[in-house]
Formats: sequence, C-alpha cells, structure tokens
Amino acid sequence: MNNRSFSKHYYLMLLPGMVWLILISIVPMFGIVIAFQDFNPGAGFFRSAWIGLENFDYMFALSDIRSIFFNTVFIAVMKMAAHLVVPLVFALMLNELRLALIKRWIQTIVYLPHFLSWVILAGILLDIFSFSGPVNGLLKALGFEPVLFFANSTLFPFMVVASDVWKEFGFNTIIYLAALTGISPVLYEAAAIDGASRFRRLWHVTLPGITTTIVLLAVLSLGNVLNAGFDQIFNLYNPLVYSTGDIIDTWVYREGLLNLQYGLATAVGLLKSVVSFILIIISYALASRFANYRIF
Amino acid sequence: MKKVGLLGLTLLLVFLTACSGGGSSTGPASAGADGGGAVKEETPDPFGKYEETITLTYGKSVDATDKSLPVGDTPETNQYSRYVKDMLNIDTKVSWQAASGPNYDQKVNLSISSNDLPDALVVNDMQLRQMVKAGQLADLTDIYDRYASPSMKSFIEKTGGIAAQSVTFDGKMYAIPSVQVHADGVHQLWIRKDWLDKLGLEPPRTIDDLEKVAEAFVTQDPDGNGKDDTIGISGPESGGLLYAHFLASTNNLYGLDPVFGAFRAYPGFWIEGEDGDPVYGSILPETKEALGKLRDWYAKGLIDREIGVRKDAHEPVKSGQSGIFFAPWWMGYGPLPDAIKNDPDANWQAYLLPLDSEGQFNARMGTSSTQFVVVRKDYEHPEAVVKMLNLLIRDEAKFDISVGIGYYPLRVPQSAPDESEYSAKALQEVLAGTKTPEDFNDPGYKLLAADLQNVKKVKKEPYDNMDIQYWDPQADLGVWSRQYSLLVGASTLLEDYNKVYSLLYSQTKTMESRWTNLKKLEDETFLKIIVGAAPLEEFDTFVDNWKKQGGDKITEEVKEYIQQ
Repeated sequence: MNNRSFSKHYYLMLLPGMVWLILISIVPMFGIVIAFQDFNPGAGFFRSAWIGLENFDYMFALSDIRSIFFNTVFIAVMKMAAHLVVPLVFALMLNELRLALIKRWIQTIVYLPHFLSWVILAGILLDIFSFSGPVNGLLKALGFEPVLFFANSTLFPFMVVASDVWKEFGFNTIIYLAALTGISPVLYEAAAIDGASRFRRLWHVTLPGITTTIVLLAVLSLGNVLNAGFDQIFNLYNPLVYSTGDIIDTWVYREGLLNLQYGLATAVGLLKSVVSFILIIISYALASRFANYRIF
Repeated sequence: MKKVGLLGLTLLLVFLTACSGGGSSTGPASAGADGGGAVKEETPDPFGKYEETITLTYGKSVDATDKSLPVGDTPETNQYSRYVKDMLNIDTKVSWQAASGPNYDQKVNLSISSNDLPDALVVNDMQLRQMVKAGQLADLTDIYDRYASPSMKSFIEKTGGIAAQSVTFDGKMYAIPSVQVHADGVHQLWIRKDWLDKLGLEPPRTIDDLEKVAEAFVTQDPDGNGKDDTIGISGPESGGLLYAHFLASTNNLYGLDPVFGAFRAYPGFWIEGEDGDPVYGSILPETKEALGKLRDWYAKGLIDREIGVRKDAHEPVKSGQSGIFFAPWWMGYGPLPDAIKNDPDANWQAYLLPLDSEGQFNARMGTSSTQFVVVRKDYEHPEAVVKMLNLLIRDEAKFDISVGIGYYPLRVPQSAPDESEYSAKALQEVLAGTKTPEDFNDPGYKLLAADLQNVKKVKKEPYDNMDIQYWDPQADLGVWSRQYSLLVGASTLLEDYNKVYSLLYSQTKTMESRWTNLKKLEDETFLKIIVGAAPLEEFDTFVDNWKKQGGDKITEEVKEYIQQ
C-alpha cells in the first residue's frame, strides 16, 4: 500500500520528462523520411518526391564526408578521454584538502563555467586568444611570434577540447566527489594503521572505491562518440579551420539550414544517428557487464 | 547532450512560431471582409487607404549595432510603421526578428523549411527560388500591374528587364524585386586622408603604391598614439566575403575586390574566357596572381591579421585602427558616423583605386535585384505590400533618416539605377553655383529635391573641398550621412571606369546541390593561401578539384544559359 503511493509520485515526476522526450525526440524522428525524398516544404512529408537512396549516393561521393566524420570522431574521442581523466584527478586532489570551506569554494568556482552558454564563452575565448588579447600579449612579451589559436587548423581541435574540458570538468568532479564520500572512513583508518602511505591509500582504497563510477561514466560517454559539440564549434570555428574543425553537426547545419539541401543534410544526420545508436547499444552492453548498470 | 538541447530549442522555436503564426493568420481571416472592400474599388489606388485596419505580419532583420531608434520605439513600432499605419491603415506586426546577415537568412530558411511563413518577407535569390518551387508564394502578376505606382514601374523597367526577369517564373511574377543603384556594386578604396597627409603620402594609384601606403600606415604610427596598433588594410570578418560574387554581387563591405580588379581578376564572377565561352573567374591565373600578392601583404602584416576570423569588421574602422578598406559608396550611413564620433578628424575619402597596369580601374558590377519582397500564398491583402513600397518610394525624401531607414517595414531599396551618380553630380553643380535646385525636377530621382535643399546644412565652405573639417555632421547626422555618401562616395563614379558584369547572377540546376561545396572549397583555399596556412600552389589543386567536383558540369550549364 505504502509502496504503491510512493511509486505514483515517481510516475508523476516522470511525466514532464516524458512529454519533453516525446515532443522533442520522438515526434521529429518521422522527419527522417526527408533523407529519401527530394523534400519540398510546400508539399510536406507526404507529397514530396521519393528518390530512394540518391541522397546517400551523393553523400558518399562528397570529398567532405570523410573529413567531417574523422574530425567528429577525433574531437569527440579526445573530449571523452579528457572528461574522464581531468575531473578524476581533480576530484582526488580536492579530496585531499583538509579545509572543507576552501574545498567547497573551489568546487563551486570550477563548476561555474558550466552554466555559461557557448555563445558567450566563445566570444570571450576569441577575444582572449585574439592578436590583441592577453595570451598573445604574453607571448609577445616573452619574445614569441603571436599565434591565432582559433584560426590555426593544427591547434584548433586541441583548443576545442581544452576549452570544453575547462568549461565542463567541474560537473564530473562533483560526481566523483560524491562517490568519494561514499567510501567508509574506517577503510582509511585501517589502512593508516597498517602503515599505508598516502599514495598507497589512494591506490588501494580510494580508486577501488570509485571504480564503478569511473566505469559507468566512461561507458555512458561512449554514446557521445559522434557528438563533438555543435554549439561550441559553431561559435568558435571559421573557414580557416574547416579542414580540422568542421564536424557532422556543423556541416549538416550549413547544408540543411543555410543552403536548403534538406535531403542531403538529413541523410548525413541519419547516418550519424545510426552509428550513434549502435554505439549506445554497445555501451549499454558494456555498462551492464562491467558496472551492473541496467535500465530494463 | 548539448546537441539535443540545441535541437530541442530549435524545435521549441518552431513550435512557438507555429503557434503565433496560427494565431495571427486567424486575425486577417476574420478581417477578410474589408479586404474584399479594397478589391471592389473600381480603379485600384496605389496609395489607397484601407477603410478598416488590416494586419500584416513579417520577419524583420535588425542591425544589432544600430542605436538610432528613439527611446520607447522598437523595430516593430517606430516612426515608419506609424507612418504606414496612418497613411494606409496597415498594422504591421513583426512575427520574429533576427540580426541582419546570416542570422536573418537562417531564420528565413527555417520559416521556409517548416512551411510556417509570416504574411510577407524580404528574401534573397536562393530563397525566392526555393519558395517558388515549394509553391509557398502568392502570384503578384496582376497585383503588380494594378497597384504598383508609376515610379516603381519605371524603376523596374529601367533595368532593361533584368529586375522583372529575376522574379518571373513560368510567366508569373512572384515577388517585388529591389532595384538597387549601380553604385551598390562598385567597391572602391576608402582611405584615411588625414593619415596620408600626416605621413606626406598621396592616395595610392597602383598596387605598388598601395603596398607602400599600407606599409607606412602599419609601421609609422599614423594615429600618433605611440603604439603599434594600426591596421593597413581591413579585411572581411568571419563569414564575410573576400570578394563579391555572382550570387551576392553588391555591398560587400571590407572585401578586397579592387585589389583583384587591379590584376584584372574577377573571382566569383562568370566572365567571358579567351575562347568566348563562359568561365568562372576564381579558377583563372589572374586570380592566382592576385592571391599571391595578398599572401605577400599578409605576411608583411599589411592586411588585418585577423582577416576572416574577426567577429566584427566594422570595429577597427569605427575605433580608428584601420587606415584603408574597400566598400561601396554609402559608407556615410555606416560605419563612418561612428568613426567620426570617435575621432572627429578621421578624414575618410573614397577613390576608384588602385588601377591596373594600364591605368584603368576595373569594377565588378552587381545586379540590380538582390532582395525580393514576397507574399505568402493565401494572404488576404497581397496588394498591401505593393502599397507600402509605393509609399516608401513616394515619401522617402520626407523621412527623418537619422532613424535608420531599415526600420521601414519590408523595405527593399528601389530607385533609378544611376541615382547616386546623378545626385552627386547635381549636388556638385548646385554647390558650385552653376545650376540651381530648380534645374532638377525629374521625378524619377525621388530624393534629389530634398538632397539639394539640405546640402548646405551640413557642407561648409569651400564647397569643392570634401575633407572632413569642411563638413558639419553635428548639424544633422542623418543629412550628413547621405550627403557625405553622395559627394565623397558616389562622386568618384562620375569618372570613367571599366564595368565588368557577371554573365549570370543566379543559380543553375546543378548549382543547387553542388555549389555549396564548391564555394566552401574556394573560400577555404583562398583564405588559407592569403594567411599563409597553405602554399600558393594549393591554388592549382583547387582548380583541379573544383572542375572535378561539379565545376565543369556547371560551366556547361552556364554556357547553355548564355546561349538561350
């Protein structure tokens, strides 16, 4: 009895999320028919001419496709790795701090950029790294040639990853910190009595204690392997870095929304979704195997 | 996750606009009766006022940096929309607004692809074609015949059929085209004459002169602030164009068109090749030569080092950092008002320079119509749009343009193609005293009477010296904007110069799917060559790829088009 009324609350809380999911993620999915059509917005989904796989043929003939898939995977994989390691190291270091007040301060401060949108951050970053910005001012003062970081196709992907990590690592740090508080202090005391050094305690108590969290975060992020971050790159890139910075999402945006090539853009987006779907299945299998993470 | 968020936001916007679109479309439907009343009139009156207020919704492009609106006014409600309401009883409502340029285009594209259109819009050539193809537009053939004022008709006819052709599909007219002045397509050299004077230099006549002047501007601290912070030649901002091209042939601010012109290179234009067949200017050796020179200049620091990356190319001109830029005649409207606000001595003068090796200025010319006013199919009062444009043509001279004329609802420029040069000449003659304002009474030049009346408000003696110290912008900045643009910017066009037209100003069939990629290839390669991120030899690879990836096929199509 008690149990059932409890679960009703849960369903109620689920409702807004489900409505959002259906409206935003499931209903638009019918739009993928555009990939097989010569889509005409006036005629709509039902009366546009059906052209089968023509859009896909053209897509694979384009020289751009290989480079945008490569860029996407390259940037996304680097981001996944960095988002795993940086917050972990940071959380471990923060955890060693004795003063709770400072700890909380730092935690809040590194978390702050997470709340700013890329539109704003990109403007700030481009200014900081511009020719007249402080970074190049420093380089010049040290006698180096100034570098346009966001206009250099070699540096661009790394700048993207670094700025994204800077913006987001506070978020994962909090998850790790939460996991760390779950480790029983008794274990540390026991280890200390056994004469384990700080590093030993870290290795034998802390890390095993949060392994599940690490594996879980790692495995779940696999689903993002084709999400290199549209809003970030869109706000930072320019034609000079198309060769290394143009990703699937930005390409689809330009092709579909700026050039009105609906069919082609949808075909590329669909391909991306299919690959992502497979990766999510794999990551779910891995998650249930290594971290006991189950939905069904 | 972020991607999903953005997608969600986009969709949410679509839903929201869908809702508001639905709401407003019921408005005019219920007011349909008075629309019938307007049609019932025996002779259609181009300026006829509706008996009952009708509503017209439209998408608005707004210049985000413009600060000319008085407090309390908005892009939706301002002196122009009130004027339209008073004179025609049309209540104009903004369905959505977006910053002019790429943002506005994107918003229009979103409207087209979701088939959720306001009653009327200003669109570009590509969008017009897409909308015609999608069957989203009202046929304006009859309405134009019946309601267009004689002035509008004469402007459109003066283009020799080009303007009408650009909006006619299968014999039906689907939009009201802009009729822009020739001058909008001629990009000339704007230079800080006060800097030249200070350094004892002359306006650069050749490419070599230009190099020397730019070098002096960069190295000799022309602004005298003791800092190494000046830019020789401004370049386009991120997303801007290195040169105007056949699909966007006018008003390319901060491009490098005249530099290409001095090499007789016309990248982005379809021109006649040596064998008489059409050829794309970007793949010719002259373009390579010009790129080589620009690359050289960039390496020497003469061109804005943030070319193609800068977020706002206006900024260095307004703040007094830049010494040279290339742009059309109307710079007095912007960015120069801000430039002289920051530095009243900034003496920007315009010249048809640099010249090619034979001493000739080569200007690529734009097409007359690059913007189009379209009306949604099923809108009850399509003639309202024509009436509003009639009114703009008739009464533009009366407006106080210190509030940007861009706030006029659905404004596209329409005027006699040679209005700028003609007005400049008239002003010169009146200032010189050889003629009087009464000598000019051709009604085809809608602003001239007011121009001639106002000129002495802002122009100080001597009347033949155009340096900034002989102007009084404070007296009336709106008047100054126009007079300075005409007398400094447009008067240069009275000289002889070589006019180069593109053979084609619209897309062919294959371009619809292939052009984006070819253009991306071009933009990326050229910008990389200029900033030194790729060797000059990359140009040859580009030419090969361009031909292979559809360029050859498109060239054939252009040839067919020309032969028709």
